[in-house]
Amino acid sequence: MTESDNAHLGAAGHVDNDTLIALRGVSRHYDSGAIAALTDIDLDIAGGDCVAVIGASGSGKSSLVNLLCGIDNPDTGTVLWRGRAVRGPRHWTQLRRQSIGIVFQEFNLIPTLTALENVELSLFGNGTSPTQRLARAAVMLDRVGLEPRLHSLVTTLSGGERQRVAIARALVNKPSLLLADEPTGSLDSVTAVAVADLLFKLRADLGMTTVLVTHDEALAGRCVRRVRIKDGHIAEDSAAIARVPSVVDKQASP
Amino acid sequence: MNLAGLALRNLKRRPVRTSLTVLGIGLAVGSALALISLSHSIKDSARAGVDEMGDDLVVMQKGASDIFGGFIADEAIKRVAAVPGVTRAAGELFMFAPSGDNRSVLTLGWPDTSYLWAKVPLREGRVPAAGERAVAVLGEGAAAALGKKRDDTVEILGKRFKVIGVANYTTVINRGLVLLPLTDLQEASLRPKQVTMIHVNAEHGNAADIARVKDAIEALGDLTASTANDMLSKDRNFAVLEAISLAISIIAIAIGAIYVLNALVMATQERTREIGIFAAIGWSRGRIMASIVVEGLVLYVFGCILGLAFSALAALALPYIPTIGNLVSFQPSPLLIALTLAAALALCAVGSLYPAWRAVRMSPAAALRRL
Repeated sequence: MTESDNAHLGAAGHVDNDTLIALRGVSRHYDSGAIAALTDIDLDIAGGDCVAVIGASGSGKSSLVNLLCGIDNPDTGTVLWRGRAVRGPRHWTQLRRQSIGIVFQEFNLIPTLTALENVELSLFGNGTSPTQRLARAAVMLDRVGLEPRLHSLVTTLSGGERQRVAIARALVNKPSLLLADEPTGSLDSVTAVAVADLLFKLRADLGMTTVLVTHDEALAGRCVRRVRIKDGHIAEDSAAIARVPSVVDKQASP
Repeated sequence: MNLAGLALRNLKRRPVRTSLTVLGIGLAVGSALALISLSHSIKDSARAGVDEMGDDLVVMQKGASDIFGGFIADEAIKRVAAVPGVTRAAGELFMFAPSGDNRSVLTLGWPDTSYLWAKVPLREGRVPAAGERAVAVLGEGAAAALGKKRDDTVEILGKRFKVIGVANYTTVINRGLVLLPLTDLQEASLRPKQVTMIHVNAEHGNAADIARVKDAIEALGDLTASTANDMLSKDRNFAVLEAISLAISIIAIAIGAIYVLNALVMATQERTREIGIFAAIGWSRGRIMASIVVEGLVLYVFGCILGLAFSALAALALPYIPTIGNLVSFQPSPLLIALTLAAALALCAVGSLYPAWRAVRMSPAAALRRL
């Protein structure tokens, strides 16, 4: 951690021991500062949390997710992983390889590859042999119900199947944190429910912290905690009203 | 799957561009290899031709810039022959001389007393008798190129010569020779009493003795004695030929590298989003760059295979080129192939690194926003 990080932490205050990832005074602007996507955000996400990030289009939800996984950098402020400032691109790369899985609205699969190969890509650089990579990818695809389509090019899959491949790719490394940015946004309503059910089932099975960005109030309602973003600020955070001690989301609760 | 497999998938997505890029690299490597090999082969053919004559030393006019550019008075042959340690010396006048059908043939004139006549490996016929004039012995290659056989008449420098023998030398350059009596060639070329070179055999073949003979010959004044290898390495024509070949080869390979650069710049621009995906799933910048460089190297490998095929075709086609086909053999050495491919590899790697570097400069989020 750098001196400036420490200085900032000092100003921002304490980080709980159970906090997995936290933002401290984070701002992000685009177009040379003309557009403020996020302004002075402080946010703690505890291990095991299921957080729905909701808000209108352009409110800054996706920018928040991008900063939480380090695919974008804040203009000011610090991102803390298990209480320590993330040190830069290499550290972020390591976190995305080992500890953070991401599911995008647009699937973001490699069109020339099969479902199995797309999932296998996430295991590159983890010290696993090609055989182990394929085996683990196959197991994960089996868990999302795509065992019969392992060797199908992703361009031949339906939208729901593609998103299952994307979920398998995000989870194959057994991440501590799953970030899902509008995971059902490109799907029809029936498929969206099926994919959401799968996502919450896997979350319950694997017990990972989940941040779910969505427009869908019903989907957001399945998370324990709701953070509403408005005009780049946190307008509402249910954890601030009544901190939920449990790591189990409402879906998993009786 | 590995990076090479990923590269192959990406290249197969755009078959036309990939094929054209491979073709460009193939032409670059093939032409570079052919040019360099050709210039080396011309020199090697000349060296092999002189070696086949069995010389220890060749004597030329001091200061002559190339093997065709110096002339010695033929009385010097006797002085050279009298140098201690020299067992025999034979003068030779040579030039590219026009034959009747506008072909130039490498023509040698030897005195009728020259020991070189006795060493001609005749396939048929005979060599000139003492004092015999207006006769010629053709190498097999020259006979074939000129369409002549024994007892035919061949026209050299506007004069007619009867073919009395055909020689089957082993080296390509000697197979293309026309051998005439020295006096005939001196008259026909208006160079009376002149020779271009004196062939010398030393009494002892060891390097120290040859060096002593060389010094003694050069002490006669206005003469340079050297081994065939030294003579050819100092030849200005060969030096110019090699320099031009090398320069054109470098340009050709650089153009091949630019093909790779262009193909990969376009590919990475089109796949910016995919590069963002790789970053988002935890690929390091080094791995992303490696995946792009490997794509360049796959192009290079296929281009080199094509280039080697092109140069092999050039080697097969060379004998059919009228001006040099019967004088030069084309055999790229493994070392030359290795050096050419290494140079192409280095340039292709550089051509791949730039687009790879460009690809990882952008933040993953910005890359993912690209359509």
